[in-house]
Amino acid sequence: MLLNDCDPGFKHQVAAEPGGQGIKACFACAACTARCPVAGHVEGYDPRRLIRLVLLGRREEVLASPLIWLCSTCYSCQEVCPQQVSFTEVLTAIKNIAARAGYGPPATEAVIDQLAAHGRLLEVGEFENQRRTDLGLPEVAEAPAHFQKVLGVEPAGGKS
Amino acid sequence: MAVKTIKTPAVIIGGGVAGLAAAIDLSRRGLSSLVVERGPRLGGRVADFCCKATDSCVRCGACRLADLVRRVAARPEIAIYTSAKPVAAEADGDGWRLTLEPQRNNGPAPVVELAGGPLPRRSQVQAGAVILAVGATPFDPSAKSRFGYRRVPGVVSALELEGALEHSLAELAGGRDPRRVAFIQCVGSRDESLGHLYCSRVCCGFALRMARVIQARRPGTEITFFHMDVQTYGRAWAGELAEMREQMNFVRAMPGEVTAGPGGPQVVYAAGGRSQTAEFDLVVLSQGMRPPVGAAALSQLFACTRTSDGFLGSDAEPVASGAAGVFIAGSARGPMSIVESIEHGAVAAAAAAGHLQPLVREAAHA
Repeated sequence: MLLNDCDPGFKHQVAAEPGGQGIKACFACAACTARCPVAGHVEGYDPRRLIRLVLLGRREEVLASPLIWLCSTCYSCQEVCPQQVSFTEVLTAIKNIAARAGYGPPATEAVIDQLAAHGRLLEVGEFENQRRTDLGLPEVAEAPAHFQKVLGVEPAGGKS
Repeated sequence: MAVKTIKTPAVIIGGGVAGLAAAIDLSRRGLSSLVVERGPRLGGRVADFCCKATDSCVRCGACRLADLVRRVAARPEIAIYTSAKPVAAEADGDGWRLTLEPQRNNGPAPVVELAGGPLPRRSQVQAGAVILAVGATPFDPSAKSRFGYRRVPGVVSALELEGALEHSLAELAGGRDPRRVAFIQCVGSRDESLGHLYCSRVCCGFALRMARVIQARRPGTEITFFHMDVQTYGRAWAGELAEMREQMNFVRAMPGEVTAGPGGPQVVYAAGGRSQTAEFDLVVLSQGMRPPVGAAALSQLFACTRTSDGFLGSDAEPVASGAAGVFIAGSARGPMSIVESIEHGAVAAAAAAGHLQPLVREAAHA
């Protein structure tokens, strides 16, 4: 990989995203990695390396990485960081950028599609409503419009 | 009882290497001075340091103190009061009027006996210039509680190691023979969470020299050096560092925490992108320098400024204090080594002499 292939603006983009402000202060001391419970179990998950990749501008490599979705948000890294980088928050910023750029993890994307189409995580059809009637429960109607608005997705196939 | 007034061209607060160097430089320029030391002996912190030579001199500067004390003793124009502290100060024309108060010291007896001795009673000093050479204060590693200082047996500060270097390290390591020694750098330096963004400049060299002394005395001792980056100032280090990298284990990572293990303190750190745990007999925390404890009181007393890091003086000039006739010498101005402090003391003396020159000339004409 050449320096020319790196995106020098990427770190500024992350720093401008809510939560990402601290990233440029990183000294690469790896106190975060030392204390990270995920780093202790998942090969390749290394907060120090992820921060370095962002600072170097290796945009695609970061956004497409499955590792950025593994943070357990325990905030141990934040506690030990001498530079107040707040890696947990930085990673939230990175994840938001990745999601907008279409790099959401496939499982999450499927959940989003489901929510946008049905307004809930399980599709409610005639079968389910029949069962509810049998049990003396009121029928449930799908109301996905609110979710479509929140998720910023167009109603699929005119169905709403 | 009438308060005695001592008249002197320059009063130097602090009898460490910077203050003594300033006094010698002033005396070379024909100006006498009064050194006021709070403690019972001269030398400040350097008096506790030992020579770090192994095969040859490593220019640590620890031996320079004896030389300075000898030269001070040989110059009758340098007066000394130990166990004394300024409690009041006011600008008086171009100079300063200070009130000194005797200090009770229960510490160790003076190592070097000198003319002057402890301040007998509350006194007034009329001086043309004031040099503040009060030194820095070491960072207390227990403020970074995750490194286990005073909590985990076998975790000590670099200054405690220095104190034991001449004697036995086994006592520090809780009776164990220390065969595995770890150094953790930047404890209290370069730390935004503490508000100490600065590098303390001397700790890397200090730690590596102590590590080398340990290895020279006990060949085969495993040394692990946890650091962010090695900040050794001076040209001599280039070759030495390359050699040390072969003899010691340099780990470019700040540990996450130090815990008590069955065989000694355990250090949790990152290597190869993974969290690792390693056990040692002795873990040494390389504490950084903080502004002198009395910085706030002194800056109020002498109306002088503080640097952006909280030390005495100004960021823009090396020895100026923002107050006319007041100068800063040594590590009170910011972290510096023994040798740098001595040089800085001479620079402060030169600036003080410049301030005193018109006063001396006036006195001659009067």
